[in-house]
Amino acid sequence: MFTETSMATAEAAPRNEPAPTLLRVENLRTVFEKDDGLVHAVNDVSFDVRRGEVLAIVGESGSGKSITAMSLLRLIPSPPGQIIGGQVLFDGQDLLDLSDDAIRQIRGRDISMIFQEPMTSLNPSLRIGRQLAEPLRVHGSVPKGKVRERCLELLRQVRIGDPEKRLDAYPHELSGGMRQRVMIAMGLACLPRLIIADEPTTALDVTVQAQILELLRDITRANQSSMMLITHDLGVVARYADRINVMYAGRIVERGTAHDIFHRPRHPYTVGLMASMPRLDDAIGNRLTPIPGSPPDLSDPPSGCPFHPRCRFAQPRCKQERPPLERLDEEHWKACWVNLDDTH
Amino acid sequence: MTHTDSHTDVTAPLLQVSGLKVHFPLRPGLFGKPAAMVKAVDGVDFTVHHGETLGLVGESGCGKSTTGLAVLRMTPLTEGRIVFDGEDISHPDAATTKRLRRKMQMVYQDPFGALNPRMRVLDIIGEPLRVHRLTRTRTEYRARVMDLLDRVGLKAEMADRYPHEFSGGQRQRIGIARALAAEPSLIICDEPVSALDVSIQAQVINLLEDLQRDLGLTYLFVAHDLAVVRHLCHRIVVMYLGRVVEVADRERLYQAPRHPYTRALLGAIPIADPDPEIQARFNPSVDGEVPSPIDPPPGCPFHPRCPHATELCRREAPRPIDVEDGHSVACHLHDPSRATEMTHPEPSYQEQARNIA
Ligand SMILES: Nc1ncnc2c1ncn2[C@@H]1O[C@H](COP(=O)(O)OP(=O)(O)OP(=O)(O)O)[C@@H](O)[C@H]1O
Ligand SMILES: Nc1ncnc2c1ncn2[C@@H]1O[C@H](COP(=O)(O)OP(=O)(O)OP(=O)(O)O)[C@@H](O)[C@H]1O
Ligand code: SF4
Ligand code: SF4
Ligand SMILES: [Mg+2]
Ligand SMILES: [Mg+2]
Repeated sequence: MFTETSMATAEAAPRNEPAPTLLRVENLRTVFEKDDGLVHAVNDVSFDVRRGEVLAIVGESGSGKSITAMSLLRLIPSPPGQIIGGQVLFDGQDLLDLSDDAIRQIRGRDISMIFQEPMTSLNPSLRIGRQLAEPLRVHGSVPKGKVRERCLELLRQVRIGDPEKRLDAYPHELSGGMRQRVMIAMGLACLPRLIIADEPTTALDVTVQAQILELLRDITRANQSSMMLITHDLGVVARYADRINVMYAGRIVERGTAHDIFHRPRHPYTVGLMASMPRLDDAIGNRLTPIPGSPPDLSDPPSGCPFHPRCRFAQPRCKQERPPLERLDEEHWKACWVNLDDTH
Repeated sequence: MTHTDSHTDVTAPLLQVSGLKVHFPLRPGLFGKPAAMVKAVDGVDFTVHHGETLGLVGESGCGKSTTGLAVLRMTPLTEGRIVFDGEDISHPDAATTKRLRRKMQMVYQDPFGALNPRMRVLDIIGEPLRVHRLTRTRTEYRARVMDLLDRVGLKAEMADRYPHEFSGGQRQRIGIARALAAEPSLIICDEPVSALDVSIQAQVINLLEDLQRDLGLTYLFVAHDLAVVRHLCHRIVVMYLGRVVEVADRERLYQAPRHPYTRALLGAIPIADPDPEIQARFNPSVDGEVPSPIDPPPGCPFHPRCPHATELCRREAPRPIDVEDGHSVACHLHDPSRATEMTHPEPSYQEQARNIA
């Protein structure tokens, strides 16, 4: 069995040619200082994002999804937060080593981020046009005389009707769905190679969510960009993700293709998630199987495997030793001492 | 006003809501101009039978919570009639209101905001017992609370702790125990699991199911997650912009939805299975967003987004039509008497989407 560190060698001789790596995260660690000690929000996380793929990060509230994403672009509020280890390799450079100026150049131009709450990320006192033009101006991606034209084109691309009028609108004059489209337009403005979308539709209605996610996926495809999609909605993940990282208590506990994660989950937490979720295609009257207990307190995480207090497969060893993330096959990885099969 | 006991006639519905309207003034009109009204609930009919779970679904702002609050008689009615347990409670007097506060209970979405942070769990759960004087001695009171804690899967020693010491799922259990304390005949659950993580949601869903089975409870279950609703609710009312658009039992609603909005809603839910064959069922067929209830569109409220809309739909609101026993739909397409006015070359969903784009 391979361990995390042998990943590079294994990828040098791929069997069915995964797309080349765009961004590689290695052993990332981010902590927050609190009165009662350190919170290990992101704890030794490694993964890569390939060209043209949609990579999902799923996990419960507080499992470290957003902090992982924000660490990549060094957006961690400090204090109390601090990135204390790891590398984020993009174009052969470590983003964690760049000067503040250099990382600012990358943000919005090469890598852009779309947040959950459009109302808090748009400036309420600036017209939509001004805000949309901002990344174009900062990165000088289009000549001055063409900025307005590009803004209109972006609004059309995210299917906002009457774009001329909308350029002069303030955020509060738009509906929630339209504000989220503006956020997407801003994120796409400079044709980034990677879009990080953190719960981009959680606050929206399901019919609007569908419109926006389809749009986001179609546009990233058309631009040949990659997307890191962060969500706790397993339906969204199943539809849009090529590969999935499952996080628990600040660590990746399972990684695989969408097929691996949904049809052959191998980590007890992932297995538990699948069984606890009501599904539209369940037999009616089916009883759900919840995961007992609740997620751990990250300022006082459990010893050994972080999932052991809730795990029905736990063994004495699980309390003492933390299982490493190990490779099961080409794309499928898990961090668990026990070998599950399809019968669980 | 007479009060009939709930155990006398279980074939009659426990709750009957007819023609319910709840309008809120937006802000006082300037210079005597009439204030704009938010038509939060604008003509809603449904019944809830003893021992069933009725789901109330629809997108944000369609009036689900307002309907719940109107049933609880915590918001005034603009129009309509509510009959609970054989008694008209549309205009309750003080004594009736007091009795209703005991007979109907609410479980809220936000397990963090709903509990008084300065009260011990013992007194949070026990409050309805004190208010309605349901226990006589301190010992009896404590014993009753211990019973309730046990019912909802919490430990007796938790009684003396404060809400902040509990996780989200545990707080929701406390809220449920409190709702059970006064032995209500109807519990209104307003998004009781949507603030919880998936792994915790299932714990609370199972608890609600067990309590219904063991205590014969009746639930009015307000939610927007259609997978949760399908799992828990026997019958479902679909709302759109303050009106009921479809009512059916869960089998028929999910397998053969009739109203264009219900179809759009079900088609837009991403299915948690990456299998291409299953993903092919995904069909987000409507564009645009729900309009404002301040100035709702004339005629059918769904017409600006509906791929089948005709002149008739823009002019006249459809009335609910029984398409089968227990399955009603408010759409002109399903009204045989309007068939001639509904025939027109229909654009496909795809064409429609292209036109809007
Ligand atoms: N500003 C902060 N100060 C202290 N701790 C923080 C701060 N931001 C995040 N954390 C901690 O870091 C951990 C990871 O948080 P993160 O926001 O990444 O979770 P998440 O997986 O995105 O959750 P959600 O699904 O709720 O968005 C949490 O346990 C949280 O308590
Ligand atoms: N007290 C009030 N005053 C004015 N408007 C109100 C009031 N309560 C609700 N509304 C409005 O009435 C409409 C229906 O609100 P309601 O809370 O019933 O919707 P809902 O279906 O429960 O939505 P959600 O899914 O977001 O909880 C909304 O447009 C809301 O803004
Ligand atoms: S390592 Fe042990 S406790 Fe952890 S998930 Fe595997 S079986 Fe469960
Ligand atoms: S009445 Fe007309 S507009 Fe309304 S849902 Fe039916 S077909 Fe569509
Ligand atoms: Mg987050
Ligand atoms: Mg509500």
